Amino acid sequence: MSLSVGLNCPACGGAIKVNEGEHVLNCQYCGSTLWAEGDAGVLTVAYKNMQDRDGVLRATEQWWRKGLKARDLRKKGRLLECYPIYLPFWSTVTRVAGWICGYEERTYQDRDGHSHTERIPKEEMVLNDYNYTNIACDPGDLGIKRLRNIGGEASFADFESIPTFESTTSKDDSVNGSKEKALQDARRDAGVPHVTFEKVTIIPKSISQIYYPVWVVRYSYGERMYMATVDGVTGNVLSGRAPGDPLYQSLAVTGGTSLGGLIAAAGLIVGAGSDDGTIMFGGVIVGLVILGVTYMFFRHGSEIIEGDFEDKKMKNPLKDIGIELGGLRI
Amino acid sequence: MKVVQIKCPRCQQPINSKVKDLAFYCSHCRTMHVRDGGVNVIDFDIAEFNPGAQQDRVYMPFWRLFTNFNINQSKSAGGAIYKLGKFLGGGSNSGNVFIYIPAWETNVSEFKHWAIGLTEAQPMYSLRNDFNNIERTPTVVTREEATQMADFVIVTMEAEKPGTLQYLDYSLNVQDTRLVYMPYVRGQNGFAPGL
Ligand SMILES: [Zn+2]
Ligand SMILES: [Zn+2]
Repeated sequence: MSLSVGLNCPACGGAIKVNEGEHVLNCQYCGSTLWAEGDAGVLTVAYKNMQDRDGVLRATEQWWRKGLKARDLRKKGRLLECYPIYLPFWSTVTRVAGWICGYEERTYQDRDGHSHTERIPKEEMVLNDYNYTNIACDPGDLGIKRLRNIGGEASFADFESIPTFESTTSKDDSVNGSKEKALQDARRDAGVPHVTFEKVTIIPKSISQIYYPVWVVRYSYGERMYMATVDGVTGNVLSGRAPGDPLYQSLAVTGGTSLGGLIAAAGLIVGAGSDDGTIMFGGVIVGLVILGVTYMFFRHGSEIIEGDFEDKKMKNPLKDIGIELGGLRI
Repeated sequence: MKVVQIKCPRCQQPINSKVKDLAFYCSHCRTMHVRDGGVNVIDFDIAEFNPGAQQDRVYMPFWRLFTNFNINQSKSAGGAIYKLGKFLGGGSNSGNVFIYIPAWETNVSEFKHWAIGLTEAQPMYSLRNDFNNIERTPTVVTREEATQMADFVIVTMEAEKPGTLQYLDYSLNVQDTRLVYMPYVRGQNGFAPGL
């Protein structure tokens, strides 16, 4: 966003444009180099909405057909509303430069059955610019916390017609949050299990604010209300809640419980006849995990959730395991 | 927000630059200044081009950090020689080294290439007192950011020697910073040294 309101070149009086986030500017009339004092603000970009209502509804219907969602969703799903909004995001680039050294331990068995632990020394350079795009307001129930792809045509043309959510989180919090996340990601990328030396420098390179168009679709299925959000630039579904399929669900539950029970029982039977308690223990644990997952799947009813929802930690593994259980049945 | 005209803090002449460069050079009195929390005149060097380099000449800015460092302990798995020892000489564990940090906009691999390359080379150059109308690449890295990157350069040089670095206990003090304009020649395969 360029601001030119009321700002004039102190040398020639010409109207000047100040790009937010930049301190140094050049007067286009007299060539003077100028300095914007104080808080230069943050560069702000808005992306043009490229979707219309029909396209958004088509994308939602296609999304309904994917995964373990109720198969009669297209028949029974009733559209309640569909509208675009602008959501604010902080977009940061954080440079990480350093070294993480240490070792990895590998245990192997020799011919006589003795186990040996080998230490493999590791030195990993971490040198990367990490880009994050985090939502700058309370996303409510939209299930959007970050954007994967930022791009499109920058334009404020739709700003008048599309409701805009104001940014409520601070620039400093965003910079600090990005620094923490960059360090975590750098450590993960380095992949050194046992660290003996770490020297990492983290430098915030840039921050900007992005207004991104998102379509909100609300619909009902039976008695319950569900929603989906669609990327206003790419037309892809970003997040959503949908009813699960009762058949898939019950198959997962019966398949899961019976499989869990079988493995747990097999663990006990095999384990009883063996000198090595680990088989029994392992079998029982695996069985219990499957039982537990099945229970969670069942308990949370038939809802399929995609996106960054607060309770996603609870539900996401269920979805994954549900699909795996489906595979096991075949 | 207030907008002011940038003037040389020594002779008050306005600075005219067509690019966004954080290092403001006054061609009248040859003063360089930055605005990092105040108006600060900085030390800078302009290295002389090799007389053979006549075409496509460009100056690249580096923050040259004069550092004192001390290795208390360095442990590696395999390999034995301290690479850093080369600067210290005679089995000493402490000494001075110039660390060069590229001051223009670089991506991470360019950053590493230029920083390590020049720091390992510890170039010798003769000075001139103006830019001779040769284009200079704008500075975007602040003095503070450059100072923060010094550790990376030191540890990289130690880690990239033979063997796998396991532990390094060292101290590093930046005693002096200076913007150094190094001569390069633009070619088909990037930049070639113009010293
Ligand atoms: Zn002017
Ligand atoms: Zn001057």
